[in-house]
Amino acid sequence: MRSRLLAPALLFALGLPAAAAELAEGSRFPDLVLPDARDGRPRSLSEFRGEKVVLHVFASW
Amino acid sequence: MPGWHAETARLRDEGKLRMVGIVQEQHPDRARLFMQWKELDWPILVDSLNLLDVSLVPITLLIDEDGVIRRTTPPVAEARSAAQELVELPPASDSAAPVRPQKPSLKALRRAAEEGGAEDWRRYAEALILWGGPKRLDSAVEAFEQALRLDPADARAQFRLGVARRMRYDGAAGESDDFGAAVAAWSRALELDANNYIWRRRIQQFGPRLNKPYPFYDWVVRARAEIERRGGVPLALPVEPRGAEIAQPARVFAAADGAAVEPDPEGKIHRDPARYVRVTAAQVPGNVRPGTSTRVHLELRPNPEARAHWNNESGGVVLWIDPPQGWDADRRLIELENPPRAVSDEPRHAELELRSPRQGPAAAQLDVYALYYVCEGVKGACLYRRQDVSVPLSMEVR
Repeated sequence: MRSRLLAPALLFALGLPAAAAELAEGSRFPDLVLPDARDGRPRSLSEFRGEKVVLHVFASW
Repeated sequence: MPGWHAETARLRDEGKLRMVGIVQEQHPDRARLFMQWKELDWPILVDSLNLLDVSLVPITLLIDEDGVIRRTTPPVAEARSAAQELVELPPASDSAAPVRPQKPSLKALRRAAEEGGAEDWRRYAEALILWGGPKRLDSAVEAFEQALRLDPADARAQFRLGVARRMRYDGAAGESDDFGAAVAAWSRALELDANNYIWRRRIQQFGPRLNKPYPFYDWVVRARAEIERRGGVPLALPVEPRGAEIAQPARVFAAADGAAVEPDPEGKIHRDPARYVRVTAAQVPGNVRPGTSTRVHLELRPNPEARAHWNNESGGVVLWIDPPQGWDADRRLIELENPPRAVSDEPRHAELELRSPRQGPAAAQLDVYALYYVCEGVKGACLYRRQDVSVPLSMEVR
């Protein structure tokens, strides 16, 4: 595994995009349906509408 | 991420907050093992194709009841206060109700592709990968290729074609050239967008130690040990990370020391003209800059047409590496171990690294020969054979 990267704030200061334009404060998270890691069934953040969510986008490498 | 897990435990237990993960991982089983190791009990979604289009990880998003992102990647030191702040935000007045996610209709996407353009073919291919299962992998590869025929500059389609070819390589229907084709597709994606961190890491995952940012999957060994120590049974990995995927980064190229003894210097062993075993090679990166290193992946596959299989009762496969003039190899002799079965027919793999000369021609040949015990048919002859292979090498010459 590896240690943390430059914080997105610093990346913005350098003029580099931190992530896809859609994943910015104020925008709605995309309605993406992806397989569950445990059983492969369709999952989406839309299941959690009505709740507050902390979402981690990460890599297992 | 373990920091966030710990700092938000109370809020989650109280039902005030959900934690959800999206993992940029081609092998869901490796993500599952990781979750088991770190004891993560929250939903994790697998984004094998990088449909999120993120060009770096990790990213932490604090999202409200409406699905709106309220904060992006606060430092982990602020995790507890940031989570508390999110929880204390007044709910949006028109909060939407939860929506149950559905698989898309593959038939509808297929129709749209046939009437549409490159992007429609790509979407159809992506759905085939996520929802079509192993039997639709061939169709997924074809659909990505069609998307690329219509728009060769679609970098995402190139990357995702690579993922599809690699998935097929890992499965029962994998062909020898699927791995090389995956690497080539990832390389084309990176040529189109050199800033994509995910795509760059994918090449580095299979590339030389000098260009490794970290040892991608060396954690698997630690994870298994820790899970067992706690009395658990580590989840199985159908495709074991190996070679480049677990190699430690290196600062210096370590050329072979010359101690290895060539196994058949006079060429006395009978040759196999690729009748019993087929040998395939892939070079990562495909084009190596002068004075830097590249990793060569070799695959030996018993030929099903000859009903050939390995004989594991004698010695294992031995490979002798002869680098071209001016190039160095990190190993001259490779000895593979046999599985604990009398016979088998699985593809076998070997990897080595080469350092290119500072000056030289763009094209060179790596000479390799493999020595192996192989049998033909069920009660057929068992033979000891040598196969000589010439691996074309490519160097970037300005």
